Amino acid sequence: MDDLRQEILTEIRRSLAADLKLPGPVELHYELASDLEVDSMGALVLAVALEDRFRVNLVGIEASSVVTVEDLVGVVERAVRAGRAVP
Amino acid sequence: MNGPRLPRPKYRTVNEALVASATSRSGLTFVDLAEHETFVPYCEVHASARRTAGALRARGVGIADRVALVFPTSPGFLDAFFGVLLAGAVPVPLYPPVRLGRLAEYHVATAKMIAAVGARLVLTDAATRTLLGKAIESSRPPLGCVTLDDLGRGHAGELEIEPDPGALGLIQFSSGSTTDPRPVALSHDSLMAQLAALRALLPPETDAPQMGVSWLPLYHDMGLIGCLLQAVYYPAPLVLIPPELFLARPALWLRAIARHRATISVAPSFAYALCARRVRDEELTGADLSSWRLALCGAEPVSLDALDHFAQRFAPLGFDRRALCPVYGLAEASLAVTFTPGDREVRALRVDPVRLAATGEAVDGTRAIVSVGTPVPGTDVEVRDQDGGVLGERRVGRILVRGPSVMIGYFGQPEATARALAGGWLDTGDLGFVAGGELHVCGREKNVIVIRGADHLPQEFEECLAGVGAVRTGCAVALGFVPEGEDGEQLLVLAERAKGNGQADDETPTVDRIRRAILTHTGIRPHTVRLLAPGTIPRTSSGKLRRNEALRRFLAGELGPPARVGRLQILLEVIRSALAFARVRFGRGA
Repeated sequence: MDDLRQEILTEIRRSLAADLKLPGPVELHYELASDLEVDSMGALVLAVALEDRFRVNLVGIEASSVVTVEDLVGVVERAVRAGRAVP
Repeated sequence: MNGPRLPRPKYRTVNEALVASATSRSGLTFVDLAEHETFVPYCEVHASARRTAGALRARGVGIADRVALVFPTSPGFLDAFFGVLLAGAVPVPLYPPVRLGRLAEYHVATAKMIAAVGARLVLTDAATRTLLGKAIESSRPPLGCVTLDDLGRGHAGELEIEPDPGALGLIQFSSGSTTDPRPVALSHDSLMAQLAALRALLPPETDAPQMGVSWLPLYHDMGLIGCLLQAVYYPAPLVLIPPELFLARPALWLRAIARHRATISVAPSFAYALCARRVRDEELTGADLSSWRLALCGAEPVSLDALDHFAQRFAPLGFDRRALCPVYGLAEASLAVTFTPGDREVRALRVDPVRLAATGEAVDGTRAIVSVGTPVPGTDVEVRDQDGGVLGERRVGRILVRGPSVMIGYFGQPEATARALAGGWLDTGDLGFVAGGELHVCGREKNVIVIRGADHLPQEFEECLAGVGAVRTGCAVALGFVPEGEDGEQLLVLAERAKGNGQADDETPTVDRIRRAILTHTGIRPHTVRLLAPGTIPRTSSGKLRRNEALRRFLAGELGPPARVGRLQILLEVIRSALAFARVRFGRGA
């Protein structure tokens, strides 16, 4: 896994543990709702943490396209790369 | 119960209040995640709104036209909201899309709301506009969807209409109900009466000048009328935090209160619980909450535990628990209906929950029900039985409200209006009782579940269970209840097992499937899931599920499987009836 994806995963783990008080292992294939019990407020908290850390905007991201932790990493990664591509 | 006399409102319309505020040096402060602040003085809000109004008129927005507004908490909301009012039109604030939300559902709900008010134009900001496409396509507002920049403000001159006080001043949707939106139509008169009533309830400025902090959404009655419009009416400074930032970092709210020496702030029960649970000590190092004199709590059932935990946790930072003030209100009454009398601790009555559910009597017991106080100035409240008779103390009935802040009706929905308003009284759909001359809200008859301050219809949750094979199709009900020891209202699911699925030794897998289906589809975690034998959930004679009766039986512990009716039982019933008949005839009993 490259550095950016690793950084995003680290931030997701940090926010789950610190902001949402959901400690425990977090792996890429885990489902946010089923495995990690992230509800709609939890998803919002995660999104704000990721927006703040990586300076991206996740407002237009459809919830149903983000099922697993890996999906979330992918969404943030694409947003970061798109932002960097724009001067 | 009758509220005290309503003081005469200072202004006739919101427009007049805005003009008056512009002569003060006060204004609004926006806070971001990094706690950078942007101050917008009221004189600038007014000047900018005049330019928006001129541009709206040039676009073709006429007097009394409805304009839908979709903005996050930002200065843009002020330009749009007050601009629409100065143009003589009617603002209709709608909620913006949330991060990682369900966009398809958002589009459907937004399109319904735009259509329900017949909005002529949708006004938004550039970032939100790109997400509104489908909602605009299906609702087709005649003047389309534009951003403030598109309007070309300034080129079209300025405009300031003084509307008739009886004219429509705002249409607000009660929080979150998306399937069947009810547009609550309020006149300037109603808004001014509400603001005058709230103003009379604020603590006097003996020690410190009035200062408000709010993270509540501006598309919701409590954030819009209770915070923003009250600040303009007063006029007093107000600090605004976007709601999503509060949810992500609850400490932002308390830090803003401490930093600005705020005297007033309001939030639902869950927000107090969230702070007690999630704020870390180091986030509030050096913070002083002693300036906070009125900590209002409403918008959902008030939890004594949540307020207690909050008061204990933050007492070392100077928080005075006498500041806590539970209130009751609803969008249909503009906002506030009752307020707890000032400068005393929160009062709760401990009642027997089973008796309360079974017989509607509030007798002494263990469950704490918080008093929400007495009617606000100008407002009357009655608790009535099913036949419309006014009930005495400690008897549960429907809460009805009368007063100058009550809505004109649901916009364009005469039948729904007739169901809610009769003879000047608004049927709130909430259940409560009066004890010691104060109102206690203990449930609701309308089919709404309030989770974290937002309304949900039971169908949103029940529909998720269609794919859960072990549940009898269409035989599940979703309900809101306040469990013992919880911080607020929670989701309860009662589901009947599919026929042929006898009671398994271990029902955990089915219960887990139900929980997962609801969490995945709605983002809300059920508190309790109970599997029942087929036929347990009460139904009407036509087979419709009776949700409130199911909840009543659940709370009263009466939710048993249907009795098997055999020949012997029929015979016993016949004998019982005959004996009862005989007793009545011979006058030995009734």
